Amino acid sequence: MHESIIREPLVTGKPDLRRITDDVLAPVLNKPSKAWWIGFSIAFTFFMVWIISIAYTFWVGIGTWGLNKTVGWAWDITNFVWWVGIGHAGTLISAILLLFRQNWRNSINRSAEAMTIFAVICAATYIFAHMGRPWLFYWALPLPNQFGSLWVNFNSPLVWDVFAISTYFSVSLLFWYIGLIPDIATVRDRTEGLRKKIYSAMSFGWTGSARSWIRFESVSLILAGVSTPLVLSVHTIVSMDFATSIVPGWHTTIFPPYFVAGAIFSGFAMVQTLLIVARVVLKLENYITIKHIELMNIIILVTGSIVGVAYLTELFIAWYSGVEYEQYAFLNRVTGPYWWAYWIMMTCNVITPQLFWFKKLRTSTVVTFILSIFVNIGMWFERFVIIVTSLHRDYLPSSWVMYTNTWTEVGIFVGSIGLFFTLFLLFIQFLPSVAMAEVKLLLKGSSEEAKKKVIKKMIEQGKSVEGVVIATTATLKKGEKDAN
Amino acid sequence: MENTEKKYWKGLEELHQTPEFLATQGREFPEEIKIEDLLESGTVEKTVTARRDFLKVMGFGLGAVTLAACNTAPVRKSIPYLVKPEEVIPGVPNYYASTLPNGHGVLVKTREGRPIKIEGNPNCPITKGGVDAVGHASILALYDDTKLKTPLKGKSPASWESVDNFVKDELAAVRGEGKTTVILSSTINSPSTLAIINDFIVANPGARHIMYDAVSSSAIIQANKNSFDKAVLPTYKFDVADVIVGFSADFLGTWISPVEHTKQYLTKRNAIYLRENKSMSRHIHFETNLSITGAKADSRFPVSPSDENLAILGLYNALATKAGAPVFAAQNVELPNNGIQKTADELWAARGRSLVVSGSNDVSVQVVINAINSLLENYGTTIDLDNPTLTKNGNDAEVTELIASMERGEVGAIFLYGVNPAYEFPNTTAFTNALQKVRLKVSFADRADETGLLCDVVAPDHHFLEAWGDSQPRSDVFYIAQPTIAPIYNTRAAQQSLLNWAEQSVNYADYIKNYWQTNIFPKAGVLLFREGWENLLRTGFIKMNSVPAQNYRFTKDLAAVAQSVINQSSTLNGKTQLKIYEKVGLRDGKHANNPWLQELPDPVSKVTWDNYASISPKFANELGIKERDMAEITVGDISMVLPVLIQPGQANNTVAMAVGYGRVAGGKVANEVGKNAYPFVQIANGSFQYVNTVSIAKTRGKYELAQTQTHQSIEGRDIIRETVLSEYQKDAGAGSRGKLHGMKFYDLWDKFEKKGHHWAMAIDLNACTGCGACVVSCNAENNVAIVGRDEVRRRREMHWIRIDRYYSEDIENPDNVEVVYQPMLCQHCDHAPCETVCPVLATVHSSEGLNQMTYNRCIGTRYCANNCPYKVRRFNWFNYIDNDKFDYLLNSDMGKLVLNPDVTVRARGVMEKCSWCVQRIQSSKLKAKMDRVELKDGDVETACSSSCPANAIIFGDMNDKDSRVAKMLENERTYYVLEELNVQSGIGYQTLVRNKETSFRAQAPFEKVS
Repeated sequence: MHESIIREPLVTGKPDLRRITDDVLAPVLNKPSKAWWIGFSIAFTFFMVWIISIAYTFWVGIGTWGLNKTVGWAWDITNFVWWVGIGHAGTLISAILLLFRQNWRNSINRSAEAMTIFAVICAATYIFAHMGRPWLFYWALPLPNQFGSLWVNFNSPLVWDVFAISTYFSVSLLFWYIGLIPDIATVRDRTEGLRKKIYSAMSFGWTGSARSWIRFESVSLILAGVSTPLVLSVHTIVSMDFATSIVPGWHTTIFPPYFVAGAIFSGFAMVQTLLIVARVVLKLENYITIKHIELMNIIILVTGSIVGVAYLTELFIAWYSGVEYEQYAFLNRVTGPYWWAYWIMMTCNVITPQLFWFKKLRTSTVVTFILSIFVNIGMWFERFVIIVTSLHRDYLPSSWVMYTNTWTEVGIFVGSIGLFFTLFLLFIQFLPSVAMAEVKLLLKGSSEEAKKKVIKKMIEQGKSVEGVVIATTATLKKGEKDAN
Repeated sequence: MENTEKKYWKGLEELHQTPEFLATQGREFPEEIKIEDLLESGTVEKTVTARRDFLKVMGFGLGAVTLAACNTAPVRKSIPYLVKPEEVIPGVPNYYASTLPNGHGVLVKTREGRPIKIEGNPNCPITKGGVDAVGHASILALYDDTKLKTPLKGKSPASWESVDNFVKDELAAVRGEGKTTVILSSTINSPSTLAIINDFIVANPGARHIMYDAVSSSAIIQANKNSFDKAVLPTYKFDVADVIVGFSADFLGTWISPVEHTKQYLTKRNAIYLRENKSMSRHIHFETNLSITGAKADSRFPVSPSDENLAILGLYNALATKAGAPVFAAQNVELPNNGIQKTADELWAARGRSLVVSGSNDVSVQVVINAINSLLENYGTTIDLDNPTLTKNGNDAEVTELIASMERGEVGAIFLYGVNPAYEFPNTTAFTNALQKVRLKVSFADRADETGLLCDVVAPDHHFLEAWGDSQPRSDVFYIAQPTIAPIYNTRAAQQSLLNWAEQSVNYADYIKNYWQTNIFPKAGVLLFREGWENLLRTGFIKMNSVPAQNYRFTKDLAAVAQSVINQSSTLNGKTQLKIYEKVGLRDGKHANNPWLQELPDPVSKVTWDNYASISPKFANELGIKERDMAEITVGDISMVLPVLIQPGQANNTVAMAVGYGRVAGGKVANEVGKNAYPFVQIANGSFQYVNTVSIAKTRGKYELAQTQTHQSIEGRDIIRETVLSEYQKDAGAGSRGKLHGMKFYDLWDKFEKKGHHWAMAIDLNACTGCGACVVSCNAENNVAIVGRDEVRRRREMHWIRIDRYYSEDIENPDNVEVVYQPMLCQHCDHAPCETVCPVLATVHSSEGLNQMTYNRCIGTRYCANNCPYKVRRFNWFNYIDNDKFDYLLNSDMGKLVLNPDVTVRARGVMEKCSWCVQRIQSSKLKAKMDRVELKDGDVETACSSSCPANAIIFGDMNDKDSRVAKMLENERTYYVLEELNVQSGIGYQTLVRNKETSFRAQAPFEKVS
């Protein structure tokens, strides 16, 4: 008999169960802090920038952007893919890590999932914003209509995109919200008056009974199962917007895995960016520990390296293909007029994450924060490089152009970050930002105590205490019964 | 009759007609609630039915409002034809034969009484159906709402009557003062107008008619007078010539009669001639700035104006040596590849089948050219002096003399007809000062232009589509112009004004009929006037028998002439030389207020909406000038700052600048576009000289020219395929097989049987001159929006067809570049990449091979445009209709009248592109169906194919094996652009064949692989 190796505690500071609830709910139950207000005002200001920019675009037309006859997509789809990619970390954490029983995810999954949802909302705004006639967006849905047999084009990757993003958003929302229900119920139990009414409506009458918990667990598992393929499929389909086209630099079979890896890469970077700030501001250092940060940094290192290999593979295949257009597209990426974008991408995505090989650096919050920002920037440029540098010089040199963004596009991008943070700050103020119920599972407090109890009893009975393992709650209960 | 109808009742109350029943019967609601009761406080709460009543009222209110809101469709007032004109059928166009102001025969398409499109007249003996860009665009000037709406007297609107009285009184006063009256006009070749002017001169004794052209050819006329005593502009026959040598004569673009020359030029260079004769004409061109003619030349030598003079003398000497004629000592010009001697050899070998032309407006130069052509025995074969061209009859010396005479106060009245000297005269200050001294100044301009502003009266002439008119562009052809619409504004034909002022009470329409009846019909052998006139209105012209062209020999002494040429060369030599030229779009600037022409990219530089100082790359390097720099150019005491264009293929140490820009009173579109180059024109040796010495220096400031194409090189891509004649003779498919020739293509898609029609197009790169007529024709046909300079800078021009221009190195002459024009429009790919990616099926394929765009369905994702390898899709970035930012034709009610009602005007946010004029296909199919005949080849022509002066674009049904397009696509020279993508495009291009010895791409590296 042996006990598994000692793992580092996933929750530090040895809080008891009540303490966890108090800590997590502190922002929700109390008035917003000054820091929150400052953050919220900044975010909301940028959100207003978004409103103005998008209203201007809708009112005047896409002509307010810097696009032209050759470059039909630029910041719009760059931002779309960037946001969708960011969302992927949340789904990975909540679904795949749940299936793999990676318990360290429990304290970060809530905010990561929230991030997913807000990122997908931001991404979805670009689906509407980039359309010439956004008021007709529903034509992209296969709806029954009075036009006879008029249907959507199932050959078009954009239609797949519509399905992918809408599925992704609905499943993520469901998963996140169901996870929230027990915690909302906890809030409900601690509030009074109108807030209690709102929270009780939102908690769907959660009773906390064992039956509820069993169902909760099964639904979580099922949704995790449903979400898991989405982690792979959503960005695969997004990548097909490019991969199925014939634009040199887009028409690449490597795109699906490369995009998924990039998405997870950028998603984890965004989680880091958010949590490193949030754990300090919300005083959640005990729940979001250096261990979490380090583990996520390892994922960043791995996915970043995958992305790096993909970049090099692309260059190799372009040369190896012998197709002059393909070769030129990649030569133009590296050395053309947008070389700076390529090298920002290379530096931020491939070179700087390699610093995480050093344990000292990957356990430093400051370094992690800076590098996560680098990755965010690098991944934005990756999409910019793919979209703009491929389009601006494609087949016929007569149509080669340069693309320059306008302030409207910057406004929409910066504004969408404002939208994201507005939503995120509202979330951490009004909803439990750490999954309390799941964190409590990590405490192992009760099992530790039970183990001590058993050992004590055995000593009393004069039995050998060597190799006593309290494996599960079930055996523990059995043991207690036996002890009695 | 007794009432036998059965009685029905609903309840016993009704049957028995109880008092309660009778009391409630008339009421709509069973019980009455007094309004006072309702208003009384607390009653509403007490009333049991309050909530339900509220919901009812609410429901009714909402329903009523909703229904009312449904009915806000705007009231469109349409006036039906209560008395329908016999010839007008709504929806069916009428075509009228007419004549462009330059004398080319056209057909005018009118819909419901308004002209909407100019088409070439295929029977026109001069242009044979070709129309240039200016001709196509001229229809827009009809709907120009910046034109004068009434005549002006002083600066204020006046009635025609008061204008007439004023002018007549003033004329009488001028006669009393004993001063002369002058009609200053541009070239008039209208016989009836000339007759009216003559009548006017008779009525005003001592009056004179003086013609001048802003861009003049008077030196040719003078030279012919000096050489052969025939003061005429010859008719050139490029179709007879086997060797053509041009010196700065842009005969395919702007020189004398470009459409006519293009048709002729291609007779010995088109696909049929090439195939049947395995040969083509040879064209050698010497010029300063790169013109489209130089771009088409087989060998081109960039030479400065001074070297050009020496080259002409050198050529003369070389030929004279061969002919045993006297030679003149002149400095030799070193040209690569021994250019002059070789040219002389080739010309000598093709004596009698060669042609040497010069665009110079210097009499001495033209005399030497005459001598050269005489040595080559070209008179009577390629040069016809007996059936002269009458499109340019200006006399530079006379107008120069006129200004002096005005300055001396000898001129009492001046009538300005078709001229704008305050803008276009070389020395505008001299003219405007002299004009001050003239008592009566009358302009016939359609607006108060630069000269009109200085006139006492502006008597606006009709647009030519509103007016009767005639013309005689060549001595043996007479054209009629008939009004296609009633005058839009209160304008009057200039001829009518002149008739009125000459106290002739005849109507101009009657006058012109009478004139034809008495003067032209008898000569043409038309006996019955009515029949002849009606026939004329149908055909548009009368062709007389031509006089046989005589052979003329040059026998004059050349010594003085040669010295003059040498002197002129030496005054320019060693200095920076300025060459002033015309662009194919704006030409001399008269049509500058035409947004179609302003936005037409210059065929060479691809610049829109501006002129510029163009310099060679080497010269730019010497001056330290880069792209987007501004430079100050100074001639004498006039200097102006303008953007620089670095133009490959231009002669070193020269600056070229186009006229036609820099209008200040040309209308809202024309004003402040570019700079006026006319002040740089010098008057020397009795003619306007379009060369000058200049100094150029870089100045501060940056300026981005609005170019539609900024990347000039082809990057070695397999897009353009070309060969040289010797290779073509060995193998007709030389150069047309690409790198992937013989490879098997694999396909994702199912094969479809191509049943019925399958539309296709063939574009002959050898024929296309890049003139841009197709672009303007397409604009007019398809309601293409004009976006303006800023949007072109943002690369958002909306043209459905563009002409890609690529440069390549000329290995024979490093200073030169070879140029290829490639018209690029939607290729209507059978496996179109745009179609698969559209999420909403807004772009789909028709069963006839058209790639169709459904504007209504488009949601504007722009994915199709991204995925189009040819980049021919155009997105509506803004609402271009009724938008003050795009104040061109779609922003005014008047401008919109030019729209083609068969083509949707696209809204903001949708994609558009070439439709292969699907509206024309449909209407031709419908017509064939109604006539119960099969659609024949040629029944369907797209706007671009029908307008092409070079016949480079052929459209038709490739399922019809006898069609021209099917035959052309079977030509060995046919290739498909980007065929390796296997998009199965519907446009086959024919390789360019250059008649020169060597070429870079004569053998593509992988060509032998099969």
